[in-house]
Amino acid sequence: MRYEPVIGLEVHAELSTKTKIFCGCSTAFGAEINTHVCPVCTGQPGALPVLNKQVVHYAAKMGVATHCRINRLCKSDRKNYFYPDLPKAYQISQFDVPICEDGYVDFEVDGEPKRVRFERIHFEEDAGKLLHDEGEGTVVDFNRCGVPLIEMVTKPDIHSSAEAKEFLETIKTTLSYLQICDCRMEEGSIRCDVNVSVRPEGSEELGTRVEMKNINSFSAAVRAIDYEVNRQIEVLEDGGKIIQETRRWDDSKVKNLVMRTKEDAQDYRYFPDPDLVAVEIDDAWMAQIESEIPELPQSRYKRYIADIGLQPKEARILSDAFDKACLLDEGVAMHRVDARAIANWILSDISKYLNDKGIELKDTRLTAGKLVDMIELIEKNVISGNAGKKVLIQLFETDDSVDAIVEKLGLKQVSDEGAIQKLVDEVLAANPKSVEDYKGGKKNVVGFLVGQCMKASKGKGNPKIINQCLNKTLAKL
Amino acid sequence: MELYQKTAAELSVMLKNKEVSAVELTKAAFARTAQVEGQVGAYITLTEQQALADAAAIDAKRAAGEALSPLAGVPVSVKDNICTKGVKTTCASKMLENFLPPYNATVMDRLHAAGLVMTGKTNLDEFAMGSSCENSALQKTRNPHNLDHVTGGSSGGAAASVAAGEVSIAVGSDTGGSIRQPASFCGVVGMKPTYGTVSRYGLIAFASSLDQIGPFGRCVEDAAMLADVLMGHDAMDSTSVPREYESLTAGLNADIRGMKIGLPKEYFGEGISEEVSKAVLAAAETYRQLGAEVVEISLPLSRYALPIYYILSSAEASSNLARFDGVKYGYRAKEFDGLIDLYVKSRSEGFGPEVQRRIMLGTYVLSSGYYDAYYKKARAAQRAIRADYAKAFEQVDVILTPVAPTTAYRIGEKTSDPLQMYMGDICTVSVNIAGLPALVQPCGYDSAKLPIGMQLIGPRFGEQKLVNAGLAFEKASGLSNIVAL
Amino acid sequence: MAITRENVEYIAKLARLDPKGEGFDKIAEDMQGIVAMVDQLQELDLGDITDVIDTERKNAMREDVAVPSYDRETILANAPSVECGGVSVPRVVE
Repeated sequence: MRYEPVIGLEVHAELSTKTKIFCGCSTAFGAEINTHVCPVCTGQPGALPVLNKQVVHYAAKMGVATHCRINRLCKSDRKNYFYPDLPKAYQISQFDVPICEDGYVDFEVDGEPKRVRFERIHFEEDAGKLLHDEGEGTVVDFNRCGVPLIEMVTKPDIHSSAEAKEFLETIKTTLSYLQICDCRMEEGSIRCDVNVSVRPEGSEELGTRVEMKNINSFSAAVRAIDYEVNRQIEVLEDGGKIIQETRRWDDSKVKNLVMRTKEDAQDYRYFPDPDLVAVEIDDAWMAQIESEIPELPQSRYKRYIADIGLQPKEARILSDAFDKACLLDEGVAMHRVDARAIANWILSDISKYLNDKGIELKDTRLTAGKLVDMIELIEKNVISGNAGKKVLIQLFETDDSVDAIVEKLGLKQVSDEGAIQKLVDEVLAANPKSVEDYKGGKKNVVGFLVGQCMKASKGKGNPKIINQCLNKTLAKL
Repeated sequence: MELYQKTAAELSVMLKNKEVSAVELTKAAFARTAQVEGQVGAYITLTEQQALADAAAIDAKRAAGEALSPLAGVPVSVKDNICTKGVKTTCASKMLENFLPPYNATVMDRLHAAGLVMTGKTNLDEFAMGSSCENSALQKTRNPHNLDHVTGGSSGGAAASVAAGEVSIAVGSDTGGSIRQPASFCGVVGMKPTYGTVSRYGLIAFASSLDQIGPFGRCVEDAAMLADVLMGHDAMDSTSVPREYESLTAGLNADIRGMKIGLPKEYFGEGISEEVSKAVLAAAETYRQLGAEVVEISLPLSRYALPIYYILSSAEASSNLARFDGVKYGYRAKEFDGLIDLYVKSRSEGFGPEVQRRIMLGTYVLSSGYYDAYYKKARAAQRAIRADYAKAFEQVDVILTPVAPTTAYRIGEKTSDPLQMYMGDICTVSVNIAGLPALVQPCGYDSAKLPIGMQLIGPRFGEQKLVNAGLAFEKASGLSNIVAL
Repeated sequence: MAITRENVEYIAKLARLDPKGEGFDKIAEDMQGIVAMVDQLQELDLGDITDVIDTERKNAMREDVAVPSYDRETILANAPSVECGGVSVPRVVE
């Protein structure tokens, strides 16, 4: 029998606010143990939470970007359970009225369109970090306690690990477009839990679902899903039954193990947090949120193919990177140079420079205006393409104008026909043998003569004009 | 008249006129405490050294001609569930016996800013759960009017410290009557302000949606003066109400002619002792003579207040008290086998039986399968009770009721039956459920010479009406500034 | 809703209390009466009044502005057991 995997994801993304969700402690990653702490985030008796407005704003932005319905009135709830990384012994989250519900994202898998629907998006606080030393104990670091998260829960619309991966990439791109998450995978900015079941192909019924936790990268998600799908198929093929349970993924061993079964399912006793009040997003706030949603990657991707004529692969690279896409769009909007040329520069020299240096666009001085200035000079034959590359380096590293750089580096091409004619005449005079050869029918000496002209111009002669001039002069001989 | 017998208002005038210094007052307070504390046992912790230093600082400011608020230099006791930085805050629990808060509650900052001098931390029922102060795991407090009787609770220590003249004013907290019932039992004035008018930041939570800090005094004016210090918006408490807080003291006016006072018939029936009913009805008669209009009203949902209260308060408590798990602070069991055992043993050994009962009830009403029938229903019923009151306040300015079914009972009389103890809260809990303000003051004595209190309930932010009505009665009855012992 | 011993033990487990602890039998026994008392609420017909989001107060929020954190020592001062700059607990195996 053939089986179809049915997969739902719960993705946690850390919001890039300056401070925690309920107190003014910093969210910066990598601080010394227990230094970003206060009575509120360590659950001291009597301390009370006050919601960070930016968290609501960011969560709603993600909701709008993923076509969710925004619950204009929502609340915070307590999820009660005991664990050493949870100092209050409850996590403040959202239960029955999350800020966003019923959305979707569209993306492509192997060129085929795919839609994954969202059940909900809600905001909540992160837990602390447990450090296991070599000894017998576990030590708790509260720095992460209260770092704001959004949890995005999908419907079981995913049917392969490849789809899951593309979905996760789409989420990541969207988060970075909205500038609400740092998307630093190695710091755990995006994590996910996976719900997997399998069913006979063609069946509409859902199989028994297994939840997998501790998945820390997108590639781990792929491995975990593949493993679990195969495990479930093997169980069924052997005549067994899938047990509803939670399994913990161990990426180093590429396998999962039972964490808990349905029998010891948690009873979280959710109830509205009486220390917090309702959140209401009024029309003005909603309008502000909506105004901050940029054109999203899926739309830019399609536009780059249709309007600029990029290859899908090229369009994907550009639309995936918000900063590059913005650079392109800003440059194109100036209507001064060929859009394709801008895209080419970004795809080649700019990307290479950033990769080599391991930096991002925002770490450089390059602006769309200057990039266009530079390309325009090439199009107008003021500088050569090669000179453009030299200018670009300066644009990354200095605040000088393109003209100033061209001037400073002496990159201006000589396109003046009179000057070039003079050059040509000199070169012909200095190479009588070549001229004789030409007259004798050896037309291929032209190449050599162009080279000589370029050399005489110290590389600044416009090769096109040199060619024209040379051919014209030779023809008259 | 000794200094300890004076009201805070009187002391305020003496301080202002430099007839007495804050240091002298503080010394007098500790002298009186030395005299009676052995019998009363109001305090868990006394902070004499700090108090004398604070008093000296106030005296220095006054000498330097600095503008000081009216209560600057007046000693005040603070209930031991309000966090005081570096001063033990125990909640009268073995769980927090040695807990030194790393920060001050907002009300402590306000007291400090107003120059009040804290004498120490007063006893309470463990985590404010109880109505007699007998649930304290650390201290026994006795009613200054009769040492064989309870003070009431949970703010029993606060009420006793004021009644015995150890201080003229005290800060307590009220979740279901914890200021009002001990005020009644001890013959003093206590006020539970409107929910959201006093910051809860730093009040160790029992039931967050019901808890409210409030003042004790031996006269209405003192309660008003202390309320003026305590009340105000605090950005650290999301439930704190941003609004204009006008001085209750400045607005005091004993002329209540034309005021409409409601007597809810449900509060004078079965379960309320005749002596209590009679005294409160007599107070109603006094009001009539003072020119108020007294009308009978109905609060039909009153009989459901107790179940609603015990569901909501216990549910919140079960979650609020989960943080006491032996990990970050507080009691940790000496021996345990693994993490879960550490939790279970620390909590079972650290919490007393009443706290465990409430945690159990609260966990039950929130647990899977029971949430809708209990918690959700209680929340809906809470809305209905609020509507009941709103309707009543369309007809009347304030509502007059008994505070408790009886006067202070004997120590040990009700400890074996928690349900009987809960029944004692029947007149007070609906005020917290509805988030309203209420004032309690003495209105007579029973045959055993124990004080009887009466309760005035006001609409939201109706504190001024309450203190005015209270002041009018106090003047007419002469039941004011009663110092026992 | 009568509460069984099984219920009591389940709740105790959730609440991390010890059903075999000192005096717990009395607590379990008292639960019967207390639950019967709160059960009185069941007879109340509330008509169309339901539990809704409380909107008496709303939007009490703070701006995303940092305030200084506390010292580690201050925050950990009350911890029963501290190691390597953090509170320590028996080894947690997930």
